[in-house]
Amino acid sequence: MKELLSLRFPLGNEGMTTVRLATGGVCSQAGLDLDASEDCKVCVTESLLLLWHAGYGRAELVFFEENGLCARIAGEESGEGRACAEDEISFALLGALASDVCTEKREGRLSGISFRFGK
Amino acid sequence: MTDAELFRKYRETGDSAIRNEIAEKYLYVAKVLAKKFVGRGVEYDDLLQVASLALIKGIDRFDETKGMQFSTFITPTITGEIKNYFRDRSRLVHLPRKVAELRSAVKRVSDEMLAESGKKASAREIAERLGVSEEEVVRAAEAGIVVSLDRPAPTEDGGGYYDVIPSRDDSFEKLESHDELRSAVEILNDRERELVRCRFGEELSQTETARRMGVSQMYVSRLERKILEKLRERMGEGAV
Repeated sequence: MKELLSLRFPLGNEGMTTVRLATGGVCSQAGLDLDASEDCKVCVTESLLLLWHAGYGRAELVFFEENGLCARIAGEESGEGRACAEDEISFALLGALASDVCTEKREGRLSGISFRFGK
Repeated sequence: MTDAELFRKYRETGDSAIRNEIAEKYLYVAKVLAKKFVGRGVEYDDLLQVASLALIKGIDRFDETKGMQFSTFITPTITGEIKNYFRDRSRLVHLPRKVAELRSAVKRVSDEMLAESGKKASAREIAERLGVSEEEVVRAAEAGIVVSLDRPAPTEDGGGYYDVIPSRDDSFEKLESHDELRSAVEILNDRERELVRCRFGEELSQTETARRMGVSQMYVSRLERKILEKLRERMGEGAV
């Protein structure tokens, strides 16, 4: 496992563009094609939205290489969740775009998401 | 009525009113997904159209007896259609796999025939050997030619290809809407008019046109170029 980038940041609309840009850079570094890079950005965004809706105030995002580009996103600073009707779509979208999608739960609540792209 | 009841009723009756009711209920999924793919060079409205069509197709394929939520079922279906749409669009720029495969087959057969007979095979001979049309062979051969837009074009003023590639307005579409077109076409002989009618009236391919006129596809290609030159001369610079 080769770590490529790790980020910790507050969850919210303001930081999404920065995270998406960083994701694009990592995808390029990992040799993903343009389509896969865009899909990866969508998956990162959806994961962050899911954690945000689950009530987390911050997130840690780690990219590493292991049979492709892997991302692991964990929620931090737990708060009150507010389930969103679109969460189900986000989960299905993750499953449609990425491989090996896994979710972690803590006390019955979503706490982390990981997935893989390419190779 | 619950979703499962709606789907069961639709499956039993095929009533399009029920399908419309389901589609309206789940149109939000298409909207949400279309928004997720904005920013990849396709307008939201186009994405929504693709997503909506996938939604309608998905309604026909959904089996409510399998216990899955429709929104969970339809999301990958719509996503797949949107990704197919992106892939098809990119084929407008990239060499399609089929053409690339044909191109390599043309090269292989051409080399084989050269080795067999000692002379270069014609497009028709290669087409016969491969079991494809002559036009496909010619297109495949042309498809592999890649030139830089900055490379000098074979023009008198020495400008690059970038300078001479026509804009979208400089094509037959503009010619067709030109007031002088009718009088310009009068300078063409019967054969040339027949070609214009086939190619730009009936929108036949060069091969189909050739078959209709009882000539070769290469002849159609040459005659087409000649017609364009004649019309360009007649209508003045910048018209065609």
